Amino acid sequence: MRKILATFLLVLSLGLYCLPLMAQQNVVLSGTVRDKKTGESLIKAVIRIQELPNAGIISNEYGFYSLSLPKGNYVAVVSQVGYETLVQKIKLDSSVSIDFKLETKNQLREVVVESSRKNDNLTKAQMGTETINMSAISKVPVIFGEKDLLKTIQLLPGVKSAGEGNSGFFVRGGGADQNLILLDEAPVYNATHLLGFFSTFNSDAIKDATIIKGNSGSQYGGRLSSVLDVKMKEGNNQDYTVNGGLGLISSKVSIEGPLQKNKSSFILSGRRTYADVFLKATEKFKDNILYFYDLNAKANYQINAKNKVYISGYFGRDELGLGQDFGIDWGNKTGTIRWNKIISNRLFLNTSLIYSDYNYNVKLKNGETNFNINSNIKDVNLKQDYTLYANGLNTLRFGFNSILHTITPSTFSGTVINSVAKEGRNGLENALYLTNNYRANNQLTIDYGMRLSTYTLMGGDVYNIYENGVVKSSVKLNRSSFGKTYANLEPRITTNYRISDETSIKAGYARNVQHLHLLSNSVASSPSDQWIGNSYNIKPEIADQLSLGYVTKLFKSKFELTAETYYKYLQNQIDYKDGAEINTVSDVESVLLYGIGRAYGLELLLKKKEGRLTGWIGYTLSKTERKIDGINEGKWYNARQDRTHDISVVGIYELNSRWSISGVFVYNTGDAVTYPTGKYNLQGQTLYQYAARNANRMPAYHRLDFSATYEKNKTKRMHGSWNFSLYNVYGRENAFRISFKDDPNDPTRTQIIRTALFKWVPSVTYQFKF
Amino acid sequence: MKKIFFLISICATLLIGCDKEISLVLDNNEPVLVIDGSITDQAGPYFVQLSMSSPINNPTRIVGVDNARVIITDQTGVKDSLEFVSNGLYRTKKIKGTEGGTYNLEVMVDQKKYTASSSMPKKVNLDSLRINTFPFNGEIRYSIIPVYLDPIMLGNSYRFIQKINDTLDPTFHIFNDNLNNGKVNQRPLRGGDDKLKIKPRDNVFVEMQCISNASYIYFNSLDQQSGAGPGGGTAPSNPPSNIIGGALGIFSAHTVQRKTIRIN
Repeated sequence: MRKILATFLLVLSLGLYCLPLMAQQNVVLSGTVRDKKTGESLIKAVIRIQELPNAGIISNEYGFYSLSLPKGNYVAVVSQVGYETLVQKIKLDSSVSIDFKLETKNQLREVVVESSRKNDNLTKAQMGTETINMSAISKVPVIFGEKDLLKTIQLLPGVKSAGEGNSGFFVRGGGADQNLILLDEAPVYNATHLLGFFSTFNSDAIKDATIIKGNSGSQYGGRLSSVLDVKMKEGNNQDYTVNGGLGLISSKVSIEGPLQKNKSSFILSGRRTYADVFLKATEKFKDNILYFYDLNAKANYQINAKNKVYISGYFGRDELGLGQDFGIDWGNKTGTIRWNKIISNRLFLNTSLIYSDYNYNVKLKNGETNFNINSNIKDVNLKQDYTLYANGLNTLRFGFNSILHTITPSTFSGTVINSVAKEGRNGLENALYLTNNYRANNQLTIDYGMRLSTYTLMGGDVYNIYENGVVKSSVKLNRSSFGKTYANLEPRITTNYRISDETSIKAGYARNVQHLHLLSNSVASSPSDQWIGNSYNIKPEIADQLSLGYVTKLFKSKFELTAETYYKYLQNQIDYKDGAEINTVSDVESVLLYGIGRAYGLELLLKKKEGRLTGWIGYTLSKTERKIDGINEGKWYNARQDRTHDISVVGIYELNSRWSISGVFVYNTGDAVTYPTGKYNLQGQTLYQYAARNANRMPAYHRLDFSATYEKNKTKRMHGSWNFSLYNVYGRENAFRISFKDDPNDPTRTQIIRTALFKWVPSVTYQFKF
Repeated sequence: MKKIFFLISICATLLIGCDKEISLVLDNNEPVLVIDGSITDQAGPYFVQLSMSSPINNPTRIVGVDNARVIITDQTGVKDSLEFVSNGLYRTKKIKGTEGGTYNLEVMVDQKKYTASSSMPKKVNLDSLRINTFPFNGEIRYSIIPVYLDPIMLGNSYRFIQKINDTLDPTFHIFNDNLNNGKVNQRPLRGGDDKLKIKPRDNVFVEMQCISNASYIYFNSLDQQSGAGPGGGTAPSNPPSNIIGGALGIFSAHTVQRKTIRIN
């Protein structure tokens, strides 16, 4: 432990070594970049100085920037995708604060996935990172016509869908639980509605979303495979606006406006599905319940020029039920309070207090008897994140994060069973981090950092220690006492070397550690999946990822080609024993198995970001395997999501100022599954014989979707658009499931049955804004 | 917990487009010995069925293994060499199954030895069968609740075989007492699929077996995989068996009680 701390301090001091390099004669230009019309702060806007090609900075998550410059007269050039570039003269006699206000570009020119900017040298050395432009994704066809962040990111290389129409995703061979999904910094534990068909993100309330595929900065941690950082809109601080959408499945509305003009604003956004309304109209299903809703709310208040407070919240719930007898409901609640403080024109501080709660309840009723299952995971999270604009070359970021997890696994209660109150388990997750973005010269940028993460078991429950599935000893901790602590160092580095104006190469290494684990006995995500923290048996999951990248611009920068390869090695992966009843067993740890995993692949992405036709072609060649003691005789086997080839093509074409059309084509190798090799009869029933796990393939998956968007001429107050889409244009019956069963007419014959979910799904959505 | 999956499968059926029979090229099968043996607390003889697994497209139901030597011994020293009947079926001659007894099976086929051991749990009395009605998609559905008082000791496992008008319900009804230890059972036998739903005036036969933990894991594993298949549910594999030596199947010593109820 002492050694780890010493290493960490060494790294910290190395970072601070850069501080004396600050040029003393310099003055500081700092401020915020904003949207001129709405006052929204703009993230990752690029600020350059025309006279000094080597100087420049990118605005942070709150739009703040700071730049050290020698005194003088300059021309500042501020650019951001989707905005007109701002050119502004600046006179720098002393340090000043200037807010840049950018005007939006013509709507027609929006692109879904942002590209690196024209001045690549300013961007950080980040790898495997894509930012999604929320206002442009409405033109990409999606199932049910519900524009959806999680389904759009699945069209990127390295990100794979968990299944037909499903919002769950796998990144570079990782599990669905290995993605850190943040909504305004609050972790979202179950990011799907309605068994995965919808994501919990109401796209009308979202400003920006970035996915980082494993090589994230040290400020992020806690999950192995990716970070999906979703930022809610702040709300228009100039004028009131109402946005809405009417669809066949759901409708939504959001209201935003100033609380105090130029100073503070709010946004309220709600969405509800109404499949249950249709169900009520049918005699057969009239007692069934099937709906979800979610609410996003956010407000910000500018206390003074140096202090700003944000409060944001999310509340979403799913309800499913059959008459009075069965019911299941689940949902997430998150709340975030953030305080931005500009300590000096070089030092920016954000303090966040975050609360997050996920729970599910199952109710079963049968005459006088009833039966309930509840499970809950609660987090209280405190974060401090400092950004120090040390000089023109170094930007340091450091801080800490403490999370108190309270995890209550499935508890059962009811009249017919012994209600066992399972004690919740507490765990304290702490992290300290430091990262530096160092621009060595115009060619070379290095992001390097270290994260120290710890997880301490806390009292409340008995922890059993198992050896080969047999309890060897037990540890009972009192509520207030601490048990074992796991500490891990997570070094991260990414470098970007610009060979020419058009081309750069990148390399990165990152270690990620995960202290919370999802136990799932089904392939698709289910609301009843349980989270469990580290224990005396469950060790932190560790992933080491090495990646190499190449980015080049083609055809006068109209196209951009990105190629990345990665190799990932996973430790302490968890599975469970065959035939184990993981839901009702008194201690689930008695039925768990542990092992390792590896994943490697090549990702190619060709983007076209200018012109009437925009879009991209993504291709992934990959392999994902697991090796777990007690599964497949302890030999390597394909993970289910191992799909060798994965192609997605997205195109959006502007026909004229009113009509735009778009199409999506996806193709991937079928999931790795286990087909029987033989059959036998046992007590009158046909059973199947299996060989190696996941050695077979589902049929290849492919699909074409099409959509057309019609935008009415903008009038002064009202703006409306119609979207017509058709999912699965050529009606491919993609296999959702393959099952083997006796032919009802001839029981000696085996039928192989393919179940397809959707043949064609047409939809119409009306969007309005006034 | 089962009901959640039941519920989810109902929701899924609302969305399911279509089922179609397809053909697939499957890996070559390596034929393996299958042992299906049981000892019960009922009067003998008891049977052990030996067969070989066969490729999926083989129309023969049971490929019997006729050249085996099958021996069952108990803890009192009784050794019973089973006699061959036909098509891989072997019959005991003298051994008697009793509650609490431990039985060892030894099978020799082509100089390969397979062994298994199973202890018969104490019988838990099946008091009666009860009819449970519930509304489902606008109609009344029926299911059967086997009424029994689970003993105070934790660790009882049960298997129920249900026949509706003499048609075997292929569902594996596997219960344990993790949640309702020491209580009267109120959990119904999950009503099979739509094709085999219980209707008024049906006769429902239920066999209750008190089974060992090894049998519980074996049949529960089959239940978790059934209906799921590749593409959904648990990844299928050969269920964990108590047979040592590389054979498929199960050797189970269990108690048996049978009751029939008529739906009115």
